[in-house]
Amino acid sequence: MSRLAADLRYFTRTSLSGLRTSTVTSVVSATTIGVALVLVGAFVLLLRNMEGLLDTFGDDLRVTAYLEDALEPSAHSALADRVSTIEGVQEVEVVSKEEALRRFQEGVGRTTGLLAALEENPLPASLEISLNDARRTPEGLRVVVEALDGLPGVADLAYGQEWVEGYARVVGLVRGVALGVGCVLALATLLIVANTIRLAVYARRDELEILSLVGASRPFIATPFLVEGAIQGALGGVLAVTVLYVLFRLALPEIEAGLTVLLGFAEPRFLDFRSVLSLIGAGAALGLVGSAVAVIQGLRK
Amino acid sequence: MTSPAGDVPRRDALVQMYHVSKSYLPGTFALRDVTLEVHKGEFVFLTGPSGAGKTTLLKLLFAAEQPSEGQIVLRGRNIARLRDSAIPGLRRRIGVVFQDFKLLTRRSVEDNVAIALEVLGRHPREIRRRTFGLLKQVGLQHRRHHLPLSLSGGEQQRIALARALAGEPELLLADEPTGNLDPDLTLEIMDLIAHASARGTTVIVATHDHSLVERYGRRTLHLEGGRVKEDAAAAGPRR
Repeated sequence: MSRLAADLRYFTRTSLSGLRTSTVTSVVSATTIGVALVLVGAFVLLLRNMEGLLDTFGDDLRVTAYLEDALEPSAHSALADRVSTIEGVQEVEVVSKEEALRRFQEGVGRTTGLLAALEENPLPASLEISLNDARRTPEGLRVVVEALDGLPGVADLAYGQEWVEGYARVVGLVRGVALGVGCVLALATLLIVANTIRLAVYARRDELEILSLVGASRPFIATPFLVEGAIQGALGGVLAVTVLYVLFRLALPEIEAGLTVLLGFAEPRFLDFRSVLSLIGAGAALGLVGSAVAVIQGLRK
Repeated sequence: MTSPAGDVPRRDALVQMYHVSKSYLPGTFALRDVTLEVHKGEFVFLTGPSGAGKTTLLKLLFAAEQPSEGQIVLRGRNIARLRDSAIPGLRRRIGVVFQDFKLLTRRSVEDNVAIALEVLGRHPREIRRRTFGLLKQVGLQHRRHHLPLSLSGGEQQRIALARALAGEPELLLADEPTGNLDPDLTLEIMDLIAHASARGTTVIVATHDHSLVERYGRRTLHLEGGRVKEDAAAAGPRR
């Protein structure tokens, strides 16, 4: 057996034995990491659902190209086909003059006599153009609009530029706030976790001293503590995901009505598999870094 | 140079200290201008009242402290200014026993001895075999799965001694190894230490128990106020 294999065997055995014999401190460390990650995870969950809402708004982003009255209805489809080849265009729907009138009537109510006074339908035919996900930004929209502008048969374009820019600002703001709050939470979590593990390591400082006395190198002394920290952190992550899931399921029926108002018709979503893994990984990383800080302090004479 | 062995270092010197001083606070000295040699295979008692500098002298030898002045040569290598990364290597060649045993209380008796061999990267089979042999040597093989705190003081010190001897060190340092033990257990531990010395290990034992010094009749360095006051040659064991 090589030195490495012997060391790995020692590290595994010692880490597991450490977790077993220091049950209380292990549980406290794992729980602290778990509680901290519930806060972070709840925030991620909220952000995920808010982004879902913003996506829903984004789905409504479209460009309307009003067509010249002189253009024969038979040419509408050909123009639609041509528009659909423009990069960034997802779908093109032809709205005929009749359809436009029908929609207008639906919108203002049939009782109005306003339209009845007109001899002919004043509303133009149009193309409703929806965009790819990647183009649902002010810049993306501008590129598509420039391609549409000047196309023969197109009289005018309407695309709610101001609204789009406002939407982009909201997205940017939410992401910025998320990043800021996320950083503060991560820092606070790291400090709490490092402190908790420091106390746990302090309770076992005699081990550090004895190992050092028998000639153990610093990595040899530190590694089992780091493995223990990572395991405790990962368990804290699993605890956090479990708590979040239970809370999500318990709370959902109570707040669903309110959420529908807030999130529109977007379905409330739990964390996806990648986020769950990230949360557990973050727990393991926190435990590892916390242990490293504590052991480095403990090894200083 | 005031070395008892003269200016020319003897070929079999294991420990050489030249004008070593250690000061923890400015103006006060735990050790002052100590010059001495300990030869391979020698058994030396360090005596003196509390605060005489016995523990400090031992700490300098296993690099738990660095001297404020002077040079310390261990087996031809100057350890007075050892880099942190070189300390583990030094300690693997030295066994240390303390008055308070310093055992891993959450690990079994067997684990406490095995740790010294695990640090050396020995094969697990060899570690098991040698640990059992060492525990047998100190009469504790039947307690190997117990936790140290369930054993008596004398037994705990025997574990510490087995651990200190596990790596077959060339130097064994013992700081008041019998300070917490009753007279019978004291002799038990001292006999084990004498046994290690008889097999060639160089031994330095700090004690303020004069009866031990008289009983074993070994070379005795008497410290007072951080200085070597007397270097008495071995008189032979008292019968």
